[in-house]
Amino acid sequence: MSPLDRLPSDRGRASEWLEHHALVAVTLGTAVVLVVMLYLPAGVVFSEAFVDDGLPTLGHFTDVLTDPFYFGILADVFAEPLAIGTHLGSLAAWVGAVSISLSVGYPIPGLDVPVPWIGIDTPGVRKGLFGFTAYQAALSTIASVALGLPAAYVLANYEFYGRQTLRSLTILPFVLPGIMVAVGFYAMFGRTGTLNSLLGAVGLGPFAFIEANPLAIVILAHAFYNAPLVARLTVTAWEAVDARTVETARSLGASERRAFRDVVVPQLAPAVLTGALLTFIFTFMTFPIVLALGGLQLATVEVWIYDRIQQLDYAEAATLAVLETILSLGLTYAYLRYESAQTGFARAPSPPSKERLIPDLRTALSLRRLAIFGYGLVALLLFVGPMASLVVGSFTDGSGFTLRNYAFLLERQLEGASFQTQPWPAVRNSLLFGVATLLVAVPMGVVISVVTVRAGRRGRIVDTLAMLPLAVSGVVFGIGLLQGLVFGISLPGGWRFQVTGAVAIVVAHAVAAYPFVTRNVSPLLGSLDPAMVESARALGASRTRAMLDIELPLVANGIVAGAAFAFAISVGEFSSTVILASGSESYTMPVAVERYLGRRSGPAIAMGTLLLIVTAASFVVIDRVGGRYEL
Amino acid sequence: MNHQRRTFIGTVGSVAALGLAGCLTREDDANGSSDADPEPEDPDLEGTLTVVTYESMIDGENPAGPWLKDAFEDEYPDAELEWVQLPNQGIGHYIEQARGNQEIDADVYVGLNIDDLVSVDDHLDDGGLFRELNEDRIDRSSRIRDGLDMGDPHDRVLAYDTGYISLVYDENVVDEPETFDDLTDPAYEDELLAQNAQTSDPGQAFLLWTIDAYGEDGYLDYWQDLEDNGVRVLEDWTESYYGAYMNEERSMVVSYSTDQVFATDEGHDLSRHQVAFPNGQGYANPEGMAIFEDADTVDLAYEFLDFVLSNEAQAEIAQRNVQFPAVEDEYVDLDDEFDRYAHVPPEAVTVGYDDLRGNLDSWVDDWGREFASH
Repeated sequence: MSPLDRLPSDRGRASEWLEHHALVAVTLGTAVVLVVMLYLPAGVVFSEAFVDDGLPTLGHFTDVLTDPFYFGILADVFAEPLAIGTHLGSLAAWVGAVSISLSVGYPIPGLDVPVPWIGIDTPGVRKGLFGFTAYQAALSTIASVALGLPAAYVLANYEFYGRQTLRSLTILPFVLPGIMVAVGFYAMFGRTGTLNSLLGAVGLGPFAFIEANPLAIVILAHAFYNAPLVARLTVTAWEAVDARTVETARSLGASERRAFRDVVVPQLAPAVLTGALLTFIFTFMTFPIVLALGGLQLATVEVWIYDRIQQLDYAEAATLAVLETILSLGLTYAYLRYESAQTGFARAPSPPSKERLIPDLRTALSLRRLAIFGYGLVALLLFVGPMASLVVGSFTDGSGFTLRNYAFLLERQLEGASFQTQPWPAVRNSLLFGVATLLVAVPMGVVISVVTVRAGRRGRIVDTLAMLPLAVSGVVFGIGLLQGLVFGISLPGGWRFQVTGAVAIVVAHAVAAYPFVTRNVSPLLGSLDPAMVESARALGASRTRAMLDIELPLVANGIVAGAAFAFAISVGEFSSTVILASGSESYTMPVAVERYLGRRSGPAIAMGTLLLIVTAASFVVIDRVGGRYEL
Repeated sequence: MNHQRRTFIGTVGSVAALGLAGCLTREDDANGSSDADPEPEDPDLEGTLTVVTYESMIDGENPAGPWLKDAFEDEYPDAELEWVQLPNQGIGHYIEQARGNQEIDADVYVGLNIDDLVSVDDHLDDGGLFRELNEDRIDRSSRIRDGLDMGDPHDRVLAYDTGYISLVYDENVVDEPETFDDLTDPAYEDELLAQNAQTSDPGQAFLLWTIDAYGEDGYLDYWQDLEDNGVRVLEDWTESYYGAYMNEERSMVVSYSTDQVFATDEGHDLSRHQVAFPNGQGYANPEGMAIFEDADTVDLAYEFLDFVLSNEAQAEIAQRNVQFPAVEDEYVDLDDEFDRYAHVPPEAVTVGYDDLRGNLDSWVDDWGREFASH
């Protein structure tokens, strides 16, 4: 036999071997990446919470849990958990002092619009830093879901010019550095901001939108980040709804509303709740947007972690961070229990057909259409407004229109020294890292979905732990990377284990990004009929073959959505990148924004605008390319 | 102009100073200051000098860093100056490296603040990380203004420039606040923007300024009054200035006394950029330079420190970084434009090393907890 003849059968055997072991190999690879890039750095810092002067202790936890500054009235309960009588007594006294009244309020600043207002007057409860953090996160979650769902409804059910592009761009707020969001919000809602200029043109205002209620502005800024997340997750699920189930329900006599409630809602609920869960976790660990817009009175736990780290007090920082993580993972576990109970029997998504948004003038004036346009206006103000104001700001200074900020970028690109940060390498690195992250994170995320989705309780625990990247304080993770990977760990024999540079950045991004792939894919995978995979296996297909040929095509929407998130996470990531890129040429666009921030904000805002444009273009391309694989 | 450094009066302050003196004696016994880096007969002026500095020295608009590199290399043709950007964690990065007994591959640090030194000494051995300087080797060190002695008992640092924290206000809305007490007056209700002392340099400077004014027993009461009068404490300078102040959310912001240099440059109306020095003071934030303990090119590093204090370098650093020179007026020529818009306070105050040592963290903590109590 000539070598040429042998080749195909070898290749066949190799691919057969690969097919049988691919799932195991990718799983192992995922595990190694997680150990090195997640558990090691997080563990390095977390361990400080359990050690005092080299001895194991839980003293740090006792200190934090019984400190009213952190836990408010709960601190008393933690201090004396057994004094139940006393605690019940104070609870009863509190309930007794609650009074409810009905009055008329004027909640819209500057407008005398009376609104019936139910006043619940409660005696002050000391919430503590954790209590307040949870409170603002809960409000932010409600706002994000309320603002995200209508967007998902419109994008999934109506056809209009630019729908596909708009759907691609919903993810854009995700990549904006916090400082840019803050400056954008001031430029949009400030007393001399864009909105007041518009209102001033029709003789209204100016209104002090930000000063009137700083907490409300912070919550809106959180919604700016997270409502698109909720929308994106929900649209993906909505487009995967099996429309035939709706038709069946209708043919059996269910009203449109009833069919929606009983058939569509259960298929959307996992996605909506995933969005809510992620929003809560993100806004619980929010930083630095609360202080940038709201002020120190609205400080959250993460602010204190940052402060402790700055003072090199790692024990207290780690203790606070461990408590944050326990809370986030606890919520995640509770949610996953719910999600796995939703296993359905959808065979194949057959998305509902889209109605035209404006078929004719008469329909355009219907109540539902007007409500949609109203929502569109709100979305325009809240989401487009800050970004557009930022772009306008990059072209203006005290004397009007200027190009000097872009001249700075150009000059730096053309004449910058090697030790200076240049725009093009930042753009190039961001795109390269984004694509590489996507290529690493998608297999990781999919494998974790496949391995855990039907593995019962054990799978749920693995799945919960796999969400760790979202549940670890970003500040603490950054320090862990520095101490564990950049400075390195001493090994016996004089070796030192160090990881830095471009590869480390990509892997760190992939670790931060794969949970989004998993959370997009798992609900869809869970709703597939397990009998399909079982039949394929019974007919002799390997597990990998069954996954590639049957499961993955049916959850393609989720994979594409997850890939877009992975790209977005990579492009927007700052805190790990800035540490791993230190002293190298591997800086990205958000790092460049930070480095250009000086006494004049113009150069940084111009760089932020460049970041917006590059990312927007990339998302459109990703969705167009990915759209070919969607159903 | 009077650049007198005020000593901070407070009971704990003097206790800390006493404790410090005790440490100092031991240090001196082991390592007399006269032994610090004796002048070599034949200094080695070849090789690469690695200098760590903060972002705006090399990466901002029209920074001084590239100029310094070129000029220094012209003067020392066998030397190369390599700028390294200060890692994100600032001085903490080097403290961590020193704690882990790792080699630090930098020779000079440019941009050291007094509180950085305090942090070094709180977490490492007293007088650690940087070399004790032999000032006889830096001829121009005698040109530094008296007020800018950074007060390091271990003589590790020399100031190369300074900024002054002041208030910037809109004269169309409020009158110039003349004292700190004025800021608690109803006329200034909901008008002041400040920054978080935990995260922001000007924020911390402003807090220390109030501690200087009211003492460590009185500053929290003063801040309570400020809070009652509606002060807003934002994350950092950029949000408070470019976010809130420039969008006219409020009419007063804690900022720098060089504000008008930028306002003129950007074409803004100066009526919104008036500089106020309450109590006739500004808070001085001198920036210093130091040589790392295990620097490779020590001789070159000494030459660099001397070079930074030369006439031309002082003028370039001041004007490009928009800070004030560290040397006396006769040793530096500044443009008239700079003199006109960069304001120097009648009296400069600063809380020195001795008072910060052992107190800074708890002052900031107590303040932060009072503000963020829910």
